[in-house]
Amino acid sequence: MTDTIVEEEQPAPLSTQPERPADPAGRGPIVAAVRIWRQFTSMRTALLLLALLALAAIPGTVIPQRGLDPVKVNSYLAAHPHLGPLMDKLSLFDVFAAPWFVLIFILLFVSVVGCVIPRVRLHYRAMRRRPPNAPRHLLRMSASTGWETDESPAALGKRVHTMLRSSHWRADLRTEADGGVTVSAEKGYLRETGNLIFHIALLLLLVGIALSSLYGYKGTVLVSQGGGFSNARADYDVFEPSRLFSDSQLSPFSLTMQSFKATYNPANGEPLTFKADVHYTSSPTSPSKPYVVQVNHPLNLPGAKVFLVGHGYSLIMKVTNADGTVKYDGPTAFLPDNSLFASHGVLKVPSLGAGGGQLGLTGEFYPTAAVTQSGGLQSIFPAPDHPVLALSAWQGNLGFNTGIPQSDYSLPVTGLKNIGITQLSPGGSWKLPDGATVKFVGVQQWATFQVAHEPGKRTVLVAAVLIVVGLLGSLRVRRRRFWIRAVPAPVGQDPRRTVVTAAGLARSDVGGFVDELDDLVKQIGRSPHGAIETERD
Amino acid sequence: MAPNLHLAHVSDVLLTWAVFCYAFAMLGYAAEFAGTRRAARAIENGERRNGALYSRRLGQAAVALTFIGWAIEVGSVTTRGLAVHRVPWGNMYEFSCMVTLVAVTIYLTLLLSQPLKRIGAFLTLRPSRHTMSWRSRESVRYLGAFLMAPVVLYIGIAATVLYAAPGPLVPALDSYWIKIHVVAAITATGAFMVSGVVTLLYLLKERYERGLPPLHMVIARRLRSPRHPEQFSFGPGTAAAAEMNAASSGLMQSLPSAESLDRLAYRVITFAFPVWTFAIIAGAIWAETAWSRYWGWDPKETWSFITWLGYAAYLHARATAGWRGRRAAMLSLIAFGSLMIDYYVVNTVITGLHSYAGIS
Ligand code: HEM
Repeated sequence: MTDTIVEEEQPAPLSTQPERPADPAGRGPIVAAVRIWRQFTSMRTALLLLALLALAAIPGTVIPQRGLDPVKVNSYLAAHPHLGPLMDKLSLFDVFAAPWFVLIFILLFVSVVGCVIPRVRLHYRAMRRRPPNAPRHLLRMSASTGWETDESPAALGKRVHTMLRSSHWRADLRTEADGGVTVSAEKGYLRETGNLIFHIALLLLLVGIALSSLYGYKGTVLVSQGGGFSNARADYDVFEPSRLFSDSQLSPFSLTMQSFKATYNPANGEPLTFKADVHYTSSPTSPSKPYVVQVNHPLNLPGAKVFLVGHGYSLIMKVTNADGTVKYDGPTAFLPDNSLFASHGVLKVPSLGAGGGQLGLTGEFYPTAAVTQSGGLQSIFPAPDHPVLALSAWQGNLGFNTGIPQSDYSLPVTGLKNIGITQLSPGGSWKLPDGATVKFVGVQQWATFQVAHEPGKRTVLVAAVLIVVGLLGSLRVRRRRFWIRAVPAPVGQDPRRTVVTAAGLARSDVGGFVDELDDLVKQIGRSPHGAIETERD
Repeated sequence: MAPNLHLAHVSDVLLTWAVFCYAFAMLGYAAEFAGTRRAARAIENGERRNGALYSRRLGQAAVALTFIGWAIEVGSVTTRGLAVHRVPWGNMYEFSCMVTLVAVTIYLTLLLSQPLKRIGAFLTLRPSRHTMSWRSRESVRYLGAFLMAPVVLYIGIAATVLYAAPGPLVPALDSYWIKIHVVAAITATGAFMVSGVVTLLYLLKERYERGLPPLHMVIARRLRSPRHPEQFSFGPGTAAAAEMNAASSGLMQSLPSAESLDRLAYRVITFAFPVWTFAIIAGAIWAETAWSRYWGWDPKETWSFITWLGYAAYLHARATAGWRGRRAAMLSLIAFGSLMIDYYVVNTVITGLHSYAGIS
């Protein structure tokens, strides 16, 4: 717009942001506090905090994070002995729980609270107020038109007022001193309503997240085929309770895994499906029911959800000592090392008796084994098509009685004596020097399940829906005003004629406003273009 | 079911054709620009044969080619879906194609939503103050020239670097949520691409309206004689500024006013932002069923959130005194930059749980 007069004549832009009362004048701590609060809840601060939060999140995507990959964090720390600890002090490995990150978050939300509360009040008032009176010179506004008619100002005003009301405008009819009649109308309050819903829903989202992180829990458990677990702390391999969690929140379900099946693309070994067939009971007294847990199909139980999060191979081994007593017979879970499921694991036998001390077996497992160029073994396909188990046997003190917690998947071999290595296929046996035998009976699958309870999930979902709905109102509804003025023709012209001017104003035109005005004017009874011709002289 | 390799090949060939159409359309749009400028000069010189009609025809041909390219790309995406027996947006190659399809669809929709007579009417008479018409819409055909470039680039990268052989979905993606979450993400990305182009044009035009020379020309001059920067004063009204502006004025005058470019960018973003918000929320719900948590600050999630914050900042900036206009536009471009990081860098370099790029 190049025309300054037009600018001056326009009423204040139709921001949905209501006018704030002026800052209090004077001095003193209270006045200063009010000023700071005002500043803090201003749009500029919101803008700044939004940008700051975005910047603060970036390090969390380039620096390894404990919450995502603790192993990577440890190797990073090992590789940067000087910088690493310093970064750790700054919480750079836990960015999203870092005090500075949380602080920005909290400031942002306090700012939202401070900004939303007065806006709710002002919006409520605005919705009950009369639409503002028509500006003096409607034709000076950028969307305006004018024409003449034989209808009297009063009749036209009344007709337009009724018409606008019936199409849901808030309209107001006024008579001016010179006999002119104006109708002011406003529509699109939903814009500010939507905007307020959106900002309040952001707060609700936070409440939901807080509920989950204060009262929820998460447990992970590894289950071999045929095995199971109950929802009790002791049954989990890893259990992460939240701050205000108590054991009474654990719903009394239990689950057994009948079988696990994985299928792979024969061409490249990429996984196609994972399925765990389980039987579960929601409480000790209820009947057992079957279910198939899959990657995108968790099992929904009252108070918890059971997810399938990983799988691997268990190797069934049978260890018999020299005099024929079975010392061990069962599955041992091996951990996968790569996507082709080359896996490693350990079997510890406390005592072989008859002078044979403790026995440790470390194994490498290849579900579809092939010999590499260097003569070693590798897995070339994740399914157990040609399984081979490579074992090393160790003798010595495995540390069963030391009281130090032991890993189930690794065996520190310092101080132990190697008594042989071999490779076995299912069914194969290996005779150790001291007469004991190790039999590789077969291959089974295990699966890891994660059980999670998030009490705030519903709240989060409701908030999310309100966020989208509020946003649609806030961004897609147009707040607009429409004015029409009808005055008797000036002295010297036909006194029965009425001069009509009309103008519209939309806040942040999302398109289509011009058409709406055209239609309004057409409904009122005059094409704007014809009108423009009569205006020109 | 094994992929139908024959159909997949048909899809690849169709995509090549679509790119050709878009590329030639881009040339057509550009030729119309050049022609309009020459014609304007010819009219100034009082020549009767000014070629204005000829260059308009070129623009119309470019629009026709865009439509044809669009139809062929729809064919390409459809045959890809039929070939792999699933939705055709399961890896980065397929996403990229869908994103360009959305961007072109939005452009064509904008074009069709103009009154037909007005398509191509770059120059409108300036109405007098009192009779200013409230019908002041302009054609968006200018957008074609600038949108085709990223579209062709996007497909080019997809078809060369990101190409994935036809195949099934990985289990993590095999859910009906791929129809909801990914469609929303693609739609928003395509729309943000359009708003990004419009915003860039806005910044160019806004500089021009302030009497400043185009940035790339200033940089080029500085680079040519880095020793004496004081020799060049480029402020509004200087000879150097006037000279450089004259060189770019044909293009600049063909663009609508900065104000209406700003409004168009805003309009597209008000469409894209709620869709992006929905995509993030749908993604969180999906993550909850797939990975047992709805939010885990995985790099993909985090960059989507950063992008979201960026556009939220843009929307606030538009309502904040002192931030309206240029600064808000910069924020929107930064937000678009993080979207591109989210898409290209996170998927291929950082990779978290979202390992579906389909490239190895
Ligand atoms: C979590 C942080 C926030 C987010 C994500 C957010 C997001 C948004 C979005 C998307 C809009 C729509 C923009 C539009 O109508 O054009 C908006 C508008 C608005 N926001 Fe926020 N906002 C946040 C915090 C705040 C805060 C702290 C304030 C307080 C100053 C605030 C005040 C406003 C106002 C007044 C509007 C309406 C602007 C207008 O009239 O155009 N917002 N916000």
